[in-house]
Amino acid sequence: MAGRRVLITGVGSYLGTLLAARLEREPEVEAVVGLDTRGPRAPLVRTQLIEADIRDPAIAPLIAGAEVDTVVHNSIVRQPRPGMSAQAMHDINVMGSLQLLAACGQSPSIRAIVIRGSAGIYGAEPHAPQFFGEEMTRLFPMRTRFQRDVAEIENYFETYSRRHPQVSCTMLRYQPAIGPSLRTQLTRYLSQAACPTYLGFDPRIQLVHEDDALDALVAAVRRPVRGAVNVAAHGTIGLARMIRLAGRPLLPLAAPLFGPITGAARRLGLDSYSEDFRRLLHYGRGVDIGRLEREVGHRPRYSTAEAVEDWVRRGAVAA
Amino acid sequence: MNAGPQAIAFMRRLREGLDSGLELPDVLASGASALPREARDTLDHVLRRLEGGHDDDEWGFDEDFADLVEPFFGFLYDRWWRVQAEGVHHVPAHGRALLASNHAGILPWDATMISMALLRQHPLPRHPRFLVLNWAFDLPWVSAFIRKVGGVVASPYNALRLLEQDQLVAVFPEGVKGTGKPFGERYRLQRFGRGGFVEIALRAGAPIVPVAVVGSEEIYPKLADVPPLARLVGAPFFPVTPTFPWLGPLGTVPLPSKWRIEFCEPIETDPYGAEAASDRGLVLELTERVRDTVQQALYANLVRRGSTFV
Repeated sequence: MAGRRVLITGVGSYLGTLLAARLEREPEVEAVVGLDTRGPRAPLVRTQLIEADIRDPAIAPLIAGAEVDTVVHNSIVRQPRPGMSAQAMHDINVMGSLQLLAACGQSPSIRAIVIRGSAGIYGAEPHAPQFFGEEMTRLFPMRTRFQRDVAEIENYFETYSRRHPQVSCTMLRYQPAIGPSLRTQLTRYLSQAACPTYLGFDPRIQLVHEDDALDALVAAVRRPVRGAVNVAAHGTIGLARMIRLAGRPLLPLAAPLFGPITGAARRLGLDSYSEDFRRLLHYGRGVDIGRLEREVGHRPRYSTAEAVEDWVRRGAVAA
Repeated sequence: MNAGPQAIAFMRRLREGLDSGLELPDVLASGASALPREARDTLDHVLRRLEGGHDDDEWGFDEDFADLVEPFFGFLYDRWWRVQAEGVHHVPAHGRALLASNHAGILPWDATMISMALLRQHPLPRHPRFLVLNWAFDLPWVSAFIRKVGGVVASPYNALRLLEQDQLVAVFPEGVKGTGKPFGERYRLQRFGRGGFVEIALRAGAPIVPVAVVGSEEIYPKLADVPPLARLVGAPFFPVTPTFPWLGPLGTVPLPSKWRIEFCEPIETDPYGAEAASDRGLVLELTERVRDTVQQALYANLVRRGSTFV
């Protein structure tokens, strides 16, 4: 495994920057290449930065020229950033992944692709098994746009991996991450004056701590396995308990009113929730992480409850 | 004991509260003032816990909560349904095991009484986990409550994972066909599906304990079904009983039939090995054996019970 050359897309994200910094310190990694439209969050020492948009076909010669053997696809957007339209998010996710794959097809040196995907592909369903295994993506119909996008991306990578047997594609399906450094839909939700919930429902939520999110990515780069792998913390937590831990009051809304009321809040300039997030707050979701532990060899340090407690303890609620 | 008048006063306040348009938790809280002091404390506790702030496992099962609501189920067990349990020693004291029982009604009262029988009479009491008809997980409060006392969505993946964690799991192989049985067909077991529960027991190497519950099939005598209403609320059926929907929420109060629960001799699955799970013939044969055992035990206990209500 000596002399590995790794390309990271979305190096300007929190996890992307940390991953680059971590790989820089690994002796067996010969070169790190970062691709993004934004600069990294923290100064990087020996990462070669390429400023480019992954939706741009011009990335193909850049990637081929970097002669990397591993690509970490870390620019799948889970919720629109402020000022980003749903269309732009779809474009980055689906068109960006397609362009990246096309570029990989023109780079004969590539041996492994690791994708930071989403457990959102399973959806959030009242009748779902409590813990989804990797093979259970087809149990329920695809209900949201993001879910369909993620499924489409997974399809592209599956096809690619079938056509290029020498390349191992690892699809990491991440549960929502939480941690003092992250600003996500979930941390914004838990920082509001009051947290809207579905009246009479207390779904089981499963998260992953930011440190474990990074370590899982590093572990997958070290030991690429084929196919999908769920990434999450051990255990689940009730939504009500999570909100209590964050020290916020609950604001229970009857299910038929939840959409209209939170929609009105968005028009007033308050935070809005994606459809996926609303379904998560209604029904919750858990995944089985046996494959992550056995095959990728990453054992999460934080349980879901500990991840929430750590986020609370390190003063993130105030932010 | 003068539990009777107190219970009636409690129900009356519940009814008044619901009529005046209060939320269920508020109604319960206000109704509680009619209860004796300990019961009131317990109810307070329960309401606080329903809102979070406690510990539970990855399934949402909360043992403290289950202990807290025990007096309520204890009342149902001792006084309302006067349950008599037999053969509790057939349930293994530790390690994985699958209980397979007959089933009636959407609300899993029978599962809670099986639980009570084990907690009361087993030398090493344990909380069984039970697979609940999916539809219950669409209902506000019911879904949260069922999870806290050990219910999970009726999915084979859930059953297998629970067994692999060495839990005691109760299943109702009649499924939705059992819950919608009309009164005239009570205690006639429906088809046990394709024997999925046997497959799971084989894969996990868990013994199957057939369980016969007599009494549960008279608590909501279903006289008719109104399919258009069922479609409207998204339920598998819309039952009409002597009290439901005529009395509104009070119609969901189960009738006080007399109950008997018999745990039959376990069927070991270990000797067959995990590969036997894909042997259709064996699976169907074991399914039939479990079904037959439960059916025979049902008839025997019906005779032993005597009259239905007194």
